[in-house]
Amino acid sequence: MSDIEELLGQVMADHDDEAPRAADLLRALAAAEAPAETWSWRRRRRLAVRGLAGRAGRARWLTSAAAAIAVAAVMIGSAWAGGLIGGRNGTRTGIHHTTRLAELTCPAKYRGVAPWVPARPAGIGGRSRLAPLRTPISAVVCGYLPNLRHKNLAGHLVGHALTRQRQLTGGLAALVGDLAWLPRLLPGQPIPCLTVLGPQSNYLIGLAYRSGGRIWVSTTADATGCVMTSNGDFTTFANVSAEAAKAVRTGRWPEPPQVVSCGSGGRLGQETVMVPAGSTSLTICAARVVRTVTSGFQGLVAALNALPARTSTRGCSSKPPFHGQNYQLEFGYPQGPAVQVRVSSYCYPAIDNLSLQAYSAKTILPLIEQMLRAS
Amino acid sequence: MDLDEALTVVVARDGDRLLRVGFQLTHDRAAAQDLVQEALLRVYSTVRRGGREPRDWYAYLRRAVINEFLRTRRLRSGAEVVADPLPEAPPAESAEGRVDDRAEVWAALGELSARQRAVLVLRYYEGLRDGEIAALLGCREASVRSLASRGLAAMRQLAMLAGVAGEGAT
Repeated sequence: MSDIEELLGQVMADHDDEAPRAADLLRALAAAEAPAETWSWRRRRRLAVRGLAGRAGRARWLTSAAAAIAVAAVMIGSAWAGGLIGGRNGTRTGIHHTTRLAELTCPAKYRGVAPWVPARPAGIGGRSRLAPLRTPISAVVCGYLPNLRHKNLAGHLVGHALTRQRQLTGGLAALVGDLAWLPRLLPGQPIPCLTVLGPQSNYLIGLAYRSGGRIWVSTTADATGCVMTSNGDFTTFANVSAEAAKAVRTGRWPEPPQVVSCGSGGRLGQETVMVPAGSTSLTICAARVVRTVTSGFQGLVAALNALPARTSTRGCSSKPPFHGQNYQLEFGYPQGPAVQVRVSSYCYPAIDNLSLQAYSAKTILPLIEQMLRAS
Repeated sequence: MDLDEALTVVVARDGDRLLRVGFQLTHDRAAAQDLVQEALLRVYSTVRRGGREPRDWYAYLRRAVINEFLRTRRLRSGAEVVADPLPEAPPAESAEGRVDDRAEVWAALGELSARQRAVLVLRYYEGLRDGEIAALLGCREASVRSLASRGLAAMRQLAMLAGVAGEGAT
């Protein structure tokens, strides 16, 4: 084999993780059946040009295929395929009975493929955040734990019937802090995801506001974290199912843990800049070292934010020498979750906050090492 | 298992792999998704009309993706975007220089004709033998060898023009 043939094979493999995922495809196929407000204009134009939308015979089996394939969304982590269809079907469930009441009641059934919500945000904005930075006057958590009557295509049990519900009597401020700051899933952002394994528990969180506004949030517990969290208008890859599970048992939303996580979480705003403004602490997590500083790290923030960035693929490819330093930077804020930034010396793109990636860390690594030496 | 169920399982099992082949052919995420989507819809229609499901769904869909790629490239006259620029280009003399070389090879692959690119993707990405590629493309094995040879020669030339190390090229 010649050098160019060998290099060609390697180059092709290098670009593997840039390909779209089946979840993207499912989303597009489901969108072919979705209502106007959920339809990408770009795709609509493209399909219209090709005559797909206008031909009745073809559109019929397109719809059929989309509907059939959308079922698989839960298996491979589609954020939208089921959610959009479910959201459309179930707009009257639950909320219909509660418009005159301050408290929302749980729908008897979780009627779609997760993330499904019984209604899109009403009377209050749900597009800029998963939930507003405003304390609700009431909150209900609904649990749909797996039962024997519902299985996904992999044969695992899925929760569809309401098994628990609880009006929250405490922790509403913590609930707001947890939901309002979750990062947005960027359009087209791939989520590396394995097939959903094991049982799947769905949760709905219903929030009612003094103004009469209402928001439902769907979050799902599954072993692989494939299913997104959404209010119908705003979707995040973050997950609050563990907190919801605790809340539905205790009646209180749990307080956030005050420990360094070194890797999990994410914060609204990290979709537009690597480290959003306002960070008050930095924890550097390395293989054997964890260091926290509360000053002297703004130069590092500026350097990270100055890098050219693109939408994160949440993956990287190792390059020779295939070893080196890996750091997890955790930028803390007075309110809301921390921003997590992975910095690697040998895996490219080398910098990743799960929403944005930058290719090279060569200007960043010396700054981190300098801070570790100084502390 | 009915067709809908079969297709659902196939997409869940092979969707990522088909999309990767589509991306290798088009070098563009949206185009790759369109390609696979269109291929799926065509196959769905064909199998539904014909009533017989293929024995090897993946091979059948891959053939549909390749055919769709060649068909759309024949119809399309405009130039295509080869690849997004790297967000931050490392200096040529740095330890990351090899990344530059690879980017040039990737770009050179995108400059080839649709049939040459299809042959190289099937041979070096999918690992098919020339006979299998010939059967898939509906041409003779000699044509496959010729397309591959001309494609590799063009890539060497493009890569050398771009300064990629071409020493040892055979």
